[in-house]
Amino acid sequence: MKRFSIETQPVPCLTRRQFMRGALGGMLAGTFIPMLENCTRRNRHAEAFIARVGSYEADIASVVLSGLRELKVGVEEIRGKRILLKPNLIEPHRGAEHINTHPLVLRGIAEALLQMGARNILVAEGTGHNRDTLLVMEESGLGEVLREDRIPFLDLNYETSYSVKNAGGHTRISTFTLPLALRQADWIVSVAKMKTHHWAGVTLSMKNLFGVMPGIYYGFPKNLFHWEGIDKSILDITATVRPHFAIVDGIVGMEGDGPIMGEPRKAGVLVMGRNLPAVDATSARIMGIDPCKIAYLAAASGWLGTIRETDIHQRGEAIASVRTDFALVEKIEAQRGLRLA
Amino acid sequence: METILKASLAGGTRRNRERTVRVRNPITREILEAVRSRGLDSGGISMLPGEGCRPDATAWAVLALTAARFDSRDDGLIESSRSRLAAGQQKDGRISISASNPEAFWPTPLAVLAWGGSPEHAAAQSRAVNFLLSISGKHWDKVSDSPLAHDTSLRGWSWTEETHSWVEPTSMALLALKATGHGNHERVTEGVRMLLDRQLPSGGWNYGNTFVYGRELHPQPDMTGAALTALVGLVQEKQLKRSLEYLKERVSRLHTPRSLGWAVLGLGAWQSRPKNSDGWIMDCVKRQERYGTYDTTLLSLLLLAWMADQGFAFLHPADKGKL
Repeated sequence: MKRFSIETQPVPCLTRRQFMRGALGGMLAGTFIPMLENCTRRNRHAEAFIARVGSYEADIASVVLSGLRELKVGVEEIRGKRILLKPNLIEPHRGAEHINTHPLVLRGIAEALLQMGARNILVAEGTGHNRDTLLVMEESGLGEVLREDRIPFLDLNYETSYSVKNAGGHTRISTFTLPLALRQADWIVSVAKMKTHHWAGVTLSMKNLFGVMPGIYYGFPKNLFHWEGIDKSILDITATVRPHFAIVDGIVGMEGDGPIMGEPRKAGVLVMGRNLPAVDATSARIMGIDPCKIAYLAAASGWLGTIRETDIHQRGEAIASVRTDFALVEKIEAQRGLRLA
Repeated sequence: METILKASLAGGTRRNRERTVRVRNPITREILEAVRSRGLDSGGISMLPGEGCRPDATAWAVLALTAARFDSRDDGLIESSRSRLAAGQQKDGRISISASNPEAFWPTPLAVLAWGGSPEHAAAQSRAVNFLLSISGKHWDKVSDSPLAHDTSLRGWSWTEETHSWVEPTSMALLALKATGHGNHERVTEGVRMLLDRQLPSGGWNYGNTFVYGRELHPQPDMTGAALTALVGLVQEKQLKRSLEYLKERVSRLHTPRSLGWAVLGLGAWQSRPKNSDGWIMDCVKRQERYGTYDTTLLSLLLLAWMADQGFAFLHPADKGKL
């Protein structure tokens, strides 16, 4: 399996200084010139698969199998592999299916990958706000599903860790302390929720990776990354963790004041692909949000992948056929002016 | 006067009797055995069997072993654990989660509590207290149009260096400073103001944000329990009315060790320990069959909740009046 590696990628479209200007000064001033420049450049190609899924009761495993087939993820790539699924778990509210990655999505993915011969599946997360992960598991319904399916869960907030050089270089952090489980996994999947976000604009498969950073080293919340810059931290963590695949749960997402206090918004889709920026850009477009105006996505394009629509081979449903504009809140600075034309 | 004295002695005797019954309960033995089995030959205690020493596990275990102490059986483990904590102390007094992560100093107040009542570790404790009094995270003047509603200028304590103050590390620092006789220090006073400022208007605390962009966030039972435990003796009960109401209503639906343990401790600290607490705690210990083996922190927290009827006060009886 080829991981995307910064050493083998084209030179980033944005210099560090440009990114800083675009992400901070540019956003504050309401101009996105460096990011727009980046969006018009020719970057590497990627594929994203969009599946229409009406509800969580649907046969999600079959949908995932179709997506993997379309994206040329073959049995030989999965067989015998240790798979780590990283969901987005935030709050312990049973029935609030718009906050956390839905347990039935994880069940469907696990079922699909086991059918393809995966050696084992591990669900792993380090919740950002709640130290009591068991409570989040219980009250979100995830615990029940994982117990029924005999899928182990690992709390990344407390896991044994290792140090690794920051492969991004956007923040001042020179090394990250990561859970050992990431190094032991053969195939890492970011299983995110489709949500708007009051600091980052959107939270999708890249922002979801904040959850792999152990709370015992970074706190609750993982406040260091806010001080280093959320956009820059997302880039650094993605570049360092380098997941192999991403799946975004947009069956019911969240609009407005996400990632916790927003409202449910049914988009009725699962979006997947190997390239995280491409998957997130496609998800953003489905949400009616211009990915070129999301600072971290714009900065990732041409480096960690691509967000340019013409460079992303869309498989499955067309974006236009499933586009569901997610409400944006004008008073939230990170959401201002994001609407896709 | 004589009547009061007799009543007090009778109360003390009753409490001792109750304590003995608790210590001899199979639940206590089960937890103690688990904690003891994680003691390491090199000193200190691991989080789970087969793992290496962790300062937070070591400190929590010392608190639990002390709380349930019946005879001298655990004295050696308690002292060697305290010494292991001291051996990991850095020059400025902090205790970090690991040597390679000195910035993550949040175990420091735990170590201060663990060293309580040990003359041998008084110097280490004093250094750690001085560190706590000297360190403060990032704070800034409150801006009127900020999306954050809380007073960002109030100093509490952070999890890691150069970050903002949050509820749990501030609660733990307050407990540590009170227990070492610094309850009147200006940092404690400011920390109390910070916690009260972060209390949610509807009751309870979460990790430390109240409103973001005008929306009140949700409370969390563990953080509420920790803050309530810390604020005993520092504020009036009426200032916490809604938080106590929130936790009293929430506690009966808690089945997980961290939330249940802190909730029982927090309510107990304000003489509101729920009548069913013992049953809930016993059920929670049994739930390891469902959740898997609890780590040392969770077992210790449950044992403290089991043993304590007044929050953390029993750990430092001499300070009771001052607290």
